[in-house]
Amino acid sequence: MPESGTRRVVVTGLGAVSSAGIGAAEFTASIREGLRSTSPIASFDTTGFPHVHAGEVHDFDPAEWLRRIEPGRWGRSSQFAASAARLAVADAGLQENDLAGSRAGSVMGTTSGESAVIEQLVAQWASDGLKSLDAGRVAAVPAGRIAAAVNSELGLNGEALTLATACSASNYALGYAYDMVAGGEADYMLAGGADSVNRWAHAGFYRLGALAEEVCRPFDANRSGILTAEGGVALLLEPYDRAVARGARIYAEVLGYSVNCDAEHMVHPDPTSIAACIRAAHRSAGVTPEQIDYICAHGTGTRTNDATEVAAAREVFGDRIPPISSIKSMIGHTMGAASGFGALICCQALYEGFLPPTAGVEDIDPGLGPGVDPVPGTARPARPEVVQNHGFAFGGNNAITVLGRVA
Amino acid sequence: MSTVTAEAPAIHTAAAVSPLAITAVGAVTPAGLGLEALGRAVAAGLPGHAEPPVQEDETLPPRPVRAVPDLKVAELIGRKGTRHLDRTTKLALVACRLALDSLPAPVGGGSTGVVLGTSTGSIRSSSEYSLETLRQERPYLVNPSLFPNTVMNCAAGQIAIRHGLKGVNATLAGGHLAGVQVLRYARNALRQGHADRLLVGGVEEFCAQSAWGWHQSGSLTADAAVGEGAAVLVVEPEKAAHAAGRRVLARVLACETGYAGRGGLAQGLASVIGSALERSGTAPAGITSASLGSTGHVGLDRVEERALRTALGGRLPDQVVRVKESVGECCSAGGVLQIAGLLGLWQREGAGSARTAVVTAVSRDGQVGCVVLDAGSLAG
Repeated sequence: MPESGTRRVVVTGLGAVSSAGIGAAEFTASIREGLRSTSPIASFDTTGFPHVHAGEVHDFDPAEWLRRIEPGRWGRSSQFAASAARLAVADAGLQENDLAGSRAGSVMGTTSGESAVIEQLVAQWASDGLKSLDAGRVAAVPAGRIAAAVNSELGLNGEALTLATACSASNYALGYAYDMVAGGEADYMLAGGADSVNRWAHAGFYRLGALAEEVCRPFDANRSGILTAEGGVALLLEPYDRAVARGARIYAEVLGYSVNCDAEHMVHPDPTSIAACIRAAHRSAGVTPEQIDYICAHGTGTRTNDATEVAAAREVFGDRIPPISSIKSMIGHTMGAASGFGALICCQALYEGFLPPTAGVEDIDPGLGPGVDPVPGTARPARPEVVQNHGFAFGGNNAITVLGRVA
Repeated sequence: MSTVTAEAPAIHTAAAVSPLAITAVGAVTPAGLGLEALGRAVAAGLPGHAEPPVQEDETLPPRPVRAVPDLKVAELIGRKGTRHLDRTTKLALVACRLALDSLPAPVGGGSTGVVLGTSTGSIRSSSEYSLETLRQERPYLVNPSLFPNTVMNCAAGQIAIRHGLKGVNATLAGGHLAGVQVLRYARNALRQGHADRLLVGGVEEFCAQSAWGWHQSGSLTADAAVGEGAAVLVVEPEKAAHAAGRRVLARVLACETGYAGRGGLAQGLASVIGSALERSGTAPAGITSASLGSTGHVGLDRVEERALRTALGGRLPDQVVRVKESVGECCSAGGVLQIAGLLGLWQREGAGSARTAVVTAVSRDGQVGCVVLDAGSLAG
């Protein structure tokens, strides 16, 4: 049996840097309205690519958000992460000294790390050979700098851990941060993720036949795939008792989580293994399937994902699958940050009282079977008590977090 | 609205933790295959194999190389499913094979997981994939079968598939801190019941891209070699190892990390070594060995030694291991190789020597970490 933590853990701060807006409030308003914020790619030359849409953060100026680290020394993903963390701390009503004087750290997830930096170096290699690599850019390559950027920006002296479990990495991060706070290893943890849009992933997903032309439509009969996307997200976790003592706004409680591995195939998810992960997450959170009011889906927009995710949910929930929606229909697939954005919107759903929508669903795919409610269009007013947030990944890395409303 | 400062801002450490047992080691290094080869090289201060595994028409920077000799992948892990694997994944699979084969009996895959350290995954795989988008007639004419190699968790996923390991499967982009981080992550994962035992390792391949990257960065001394290797430890709770009758090669007593920021690295590292000693219940005078991580790094090597002296009351232990003299700079594999190097050495020393070591790590950005481990049945 898993060892339960000794402290209750709550989320008191949210930070987002995304195509749907910068800051949790802007992001949430955009999602609630069901607005699609993907657009034609500007960060690289798309000449020759048949599909040219992605969820880029076009108007991101790191200097506007970062106070301590010099943006030029860090890659784009690190800038996203540090900015999101800075926003989350401000959102939590904490001063910098509150964190710097405590045992505080960060754990951030990513799929491709500083891919935009690597592509700048590849461009140098292509034109002048490897001997022309720029030293400053080389220093910005390690993916571990994403969490380091958070600690440097906020002056944190605790752990700085970057988890590279691909597209479920933020949920891995949230689970680990929860354990650290629950078990008394840390007093505050920033958990989230970051990734940058890049050419190689765009090309790779296209060649896998998984890239949509312009619109990502999870659960729709006419879906055609994913849109790659980018951004940074951070959640501030602290013990419940402290949050109450300092009069903090509590968005949600982290009730539990589970991680496992398909061990079957690098790119095809496995419903049985995902169902096992859901059951283990429920056990960890001390809840039963009947208590789950909403599923924030991995929902990439591919037929394989939809079929697998719904089949796994059916194994656990039977014919009563809770409403299940995908915010990737609006912001695209932010890769290592994806389940972090999912967790953020779950917190807001619990706090404000709504179910996040799936945009662009016109005909729910009948192949998914009866009783699939993807909350089409715009957010639905509701009072969810307990929700679960899905993250699946290449390598069969599944991670599911469970969050609850604090009365 | 914040009233946090009403509490004392004490940087106290959490309670002592129960030890983890290392019950198997697999190492594939420039010293050769296996722990014995690494132990021999470390004991004699011998540099490993120096011929780089480069492809045709590649040039390398003017700098020494340490590379795994003659990697017979098909012999070691079979031919099936290896055609599209990159060197990073192959090295990791070989290290896992060696570790699992050294156990007296097979262990169940359903409750076994993987925690693997990296920095960028295979930088050759991702950068060559990106280059293809620039060089092909159409930018999307890349090979879809190679796409998973560009993702950092590729090696961990392949390990799970090959051995049917359904427990937690984590990849940590720890760079120089990866050795401490994977053990720390593993300790928590075992405590939470995400697996009964874990393959905990690090891997780094030698390639022209990283060799030039290291060279251009200016962070290595002129004579420091760029290396490669992989090491994997089988780690489980000590009680479980005893119950199953598996030999405990060494015990992980503590694995602590922190962040010092620029300018305070030596103090930050000394502080984290102090925390690790405290949580392991070891007095500074009880430390017999140190395995260093910053060998060959301009400035950092002195920071590391200074921190160690500060934490150990002004002295260095009698036994100081610099595994990078044998294997070269292995980035995210370095930490686990620091541990493997120690274990290889202790195995040679044989029964009778009571050894307790600190294994240190520091990055230029500010990450600091320390593992404390002692010899199990390796040294009586």
